Amino acid sequence: MIYLDHAAATPVDPRVLKAMEPYFSRDFFNPSSAYLPAKKVAADYQTAKATIAHAIGAKSSDLVITAGATEANNLAFTAATNALYLKTEHDSVRKVAKNHHGVEIAVDKYGRIDLADFRAKLADDIDLVSVSLVNNELGVIQPLAEISGIIREVKFDRLRRGVKTPLYLHSDASQALNLLDINVARLGVDLLTLNAAKIYGPKGVGALYVSHGVRLSPVTFGGGQENGLRSGTENVPGAIGFAKAVELAHEHLNGNRKKYAELKKLLLSELQGYELINKKHTLDNFIVLCYNDIDAERLIYLLEEKEVYVSTGAACAASKGQKSHVLAAIGLSDEQIAGSLRLTLGETNDEGQIHTAAKIINEVVANEYQRLQNG
Amino acid sequence: MAKVFVGMSGGVDSSVSAALLVEQGHDVTGIYMKNWSRDLPGMKCPWAEDLADAKRVAVKLGIPFEVWDFEKEYREKVVEYMLREFKAGNTPNPDIMCNEEIKFKLFYEKAMERGADFIATGHYARIIDNNLARAADENKDQTYFLYRISDEALMHTLFPIGDMLKPDVKKLAEKKGLHNAYKKESMGVCFVGEVGMKDFLKEYIDVQPGEIREISTEKVLGYHEGAVFYTIGQRHGLYISGNKGEINDGLPYYVVKKDLEKNIVYVSKNLNDSHIWTKELKLKDIILKNDTPNILVRLRHRAPLVPATLKNDTLYFESEIKRPASGQSAVFYDGEICLGGGIIC
Repeated sequence: MIYLDHAAATPVDPRVLKAMEPYFSRDFFNPSSAYLPAKKVAADYQTAKATIAHAIGAKSSDLVITAGATEANNLAFTAATNALYLKTEHDSVRKVAKNHHGVEIAVDKYGRIDLADFRAKLADDIDLVSVSLVNNELGVIQPLAEISGIIREVKFDRLRRGVKTPLYLHSDASQALNLLDINVARLGVDLLTLNAAKIYGPKGVGALYVSHGVRLSPVTFGGGQENGLRSGTENVPGAIGFAKAVELAHEHLNGNRKKYAELKKLLLSELQGYELINKKHTLDNFIVLCYNDIDAERLIYLLEEKEVYVSTGAACAASKGQKSHVLAAIGLSDEQIAGSLRLTLGETNDEGQIHTAAKIINEVVANEYQRLQNG
Repeated sequence: MAKVFVGMSGGVDSSVSAALLVEQGHDVTGIYMKNWSRDLPGMKCPWAEDLADAKRVAVKLGIPFEVWDFEKEYREKVVEYMLREFKAGNTPNPDIMCNEEIKFKLFYEKAMERGADFIATGHYARIIDNNLARAADENKDQTYFLYRISDEALMHTLFPIGDMLKPDVKKLAEKKGLHNAYKKESMGVCFVGEVGMKDFLKEYIDVQPGEIREISTEKVLGYHEGAVFYTIGQRHGLYISGNKGEINDGLPYYVVKKDLEKNIVYVSKNLNDSHIWTKELKLKDIILKNDTPNILVRLRHRAPLVPATLKNDTLYFESEIKRPASGQSAVFYDGEICLGGGIIC
C-alpha cells in the first residue's frame, strides 16, 4: 500500500497508542471521582492538556478538549453574532458560519486571503473572523499574523470611535500542527482549533484554544467539564494520545518539513503531464495536480486497484459527490476541478514509495489518455 | 489541651497545620470557609474540589469537619470593596481584606461563640509575645496579608507551620499521607484565579473606551477599554499600535498615571519618569502597634524590605522607590515583628 492521503487521516503512531493504552484499562477512572486513583487520572489529564497547550504557547486552562476539530470549530462560533470566514474554509466552519450571519471573504488565485476584500467586509458589527491556518485541500498557509495585524488595527479604531463590539480571530489549525511552529501570541489568534487525528493521534479528539476574555457558550450541557464549555466525561485516553502526538510532532517539526519537501520535489519531477495547482504558500506535504480532460475520480478507483490511495479534495466533500468549493474559489474551471488530484505526504511515505507511486500514477494517467483517445 | 478551630482550604499548608494540632493533642475541628463559588467564563471555581480535599484530610485525621458559609459576607466585605476601589481608580488587595474581615473576624467570632480557645490557619507567619512576626520561611512569609488583623484575634490565633520551611511542610505532608500530590498551589487572588483581574472586573464593570496618552508629550498612542482596568506600573495589555512612521524601539510602555474623570491612561517608556519614582508615600487607614521611628517597609508580597521613616501619615524612604499603585498596602516591620501598615493613597 502507498498512502498519499495524510490530510484525510493519519495512522496512530505506535508510541501514541502505547501512551494511551493504560487509560483504557488500569487507569480507567472517571477524573471527576473523589478517590485518589481517580485524582491521579485527573492530574494526568491536566498534564496532557498542558503539553498540548504549551506546544502552541498557551496554558492548559486555555484549552477545551473536544471530540475533534469539527466540534471545536462549532464551539468557536458561539462567540459570533456576525461572522466573516474565508471562502475556502472547511465545511465545519462554512456550515456553522451560516447560523451566525456568515459572510465569505474572497481568496486570490493561490487560495490566500484577499486582504482588500477582508478589510472591506470588516464592518462594525463583525465580532468573529475565521480563517484556517492551512487550507485542507490546497495546503495553503494563510498570512495569519497579517490578518491579526489588521484586526488589531480595526479593534484600535473601534475603541477610538467608542464602538464596543468585540472582534475575535479564530483559526482552524487542524492540518498544521505537525509542520508549522504554532504560537497563539505570534499568530494573534483568540481561538484556535487543533486536531489529533491529523498528526498521528487518535480520531475523535481535538481542542479549542480560547484566549482570556473570549465569551463562548457551551454546545453540550451536563456535568460542567472543561470549564463548563464541554460537558461529558473527559476522553482521557484521547487527550493522553493527543498530547503524545503533539510531543512527537514538535520533536520532528524540522525533520518532517525537510523530508516532505524532498519527497514532494521527487514526486513532481517524476510525474508527467500535470499542471501543479498549489504553486505557492503551501505546506510541504500538499500536492494538488490537475490533468487536462481527465476525470480524477476515475483515477482514484484505478489507483485503488494498485493500492495507491489518493483523493480529489476533502474526503467528506468527495463522498457527497460535490465539486470542490475550494478549487472553484481559486478560479479553476469545472473541467480543471474534475481533473484535480490531491496527494498529501506523510510519515508512512519514503523515497522508494514515491518512485513507485509516480510510476503507477504515470501509467494510470497514460492509460486514461489512451482510453479517451480510443473512445 | 485547647479547643481549636482550624481553617482548612484543602491545600497542603492548612492540612499540615491541622495535622500538627492533632499531634499536639488539641481538640481540633476542621472548618472549610466557603467564601466564593461562582464560576467565571473560562474558569470553573474549584471550591467543590477544594472542599473535597479538605474533607478527605479531616477524615484521615479523624477530626470533626464543618463547612461555614461566608459567601454573602465575602461578597459584601471583600468583593464589593474591591470593585468599589477599582472603580475609584485604586488597586486594592482583596486577600488583605479577606483576612481582616472574614478569616480573622467572622471565622474567629464564630469559633469563639462555639467555645474555641484558638483559631488556626495555614498561613506562614508567627506570633511572638502576642505580636505578629515574620515566618521562619522568609520566602513564604505571609504577614503582608495579615497586618490588618485585630490584636484580639491574634491573641487567639495559632499559626502551626509558621516555624517551618515550605519544603519541610511538604515532606511532613507526605510522611503523614496528607500530601495531595496532584494539587497545584493556588496563585493570585483565589476567586479570580487564572482568568486574571481584568477579565474578572469586566464581569462587573462596563467597557468604556478611552485614550492612552504618552505622559510627557500628551500624544494619543492608542485606546483602552476603561482606565479602571489598568494598574500603575502595568506594562501589558496596552493596545498601542498604528503609529506608522514612529520608530519602534521595542521598549515597553508602562502605565504611569490614570485620569479617571477623563478616562485617560498615561503611559511612558521612560523608566526614569518622575511619575514612576518617589521618596514619599502618603498612607491612609494606618495601623501602628508600636511607634518605632525607623522601620522596614514591604510594598508587595515577597518584595524586599526597605528602610523608611513614618511621620504622621507619610512614609519617607531613604532612597527612591518605584511608586506602588494606590490601594495597595505598605506593611511595617521592626526586625521580625510586623508593626502594622497602611493603604497607599
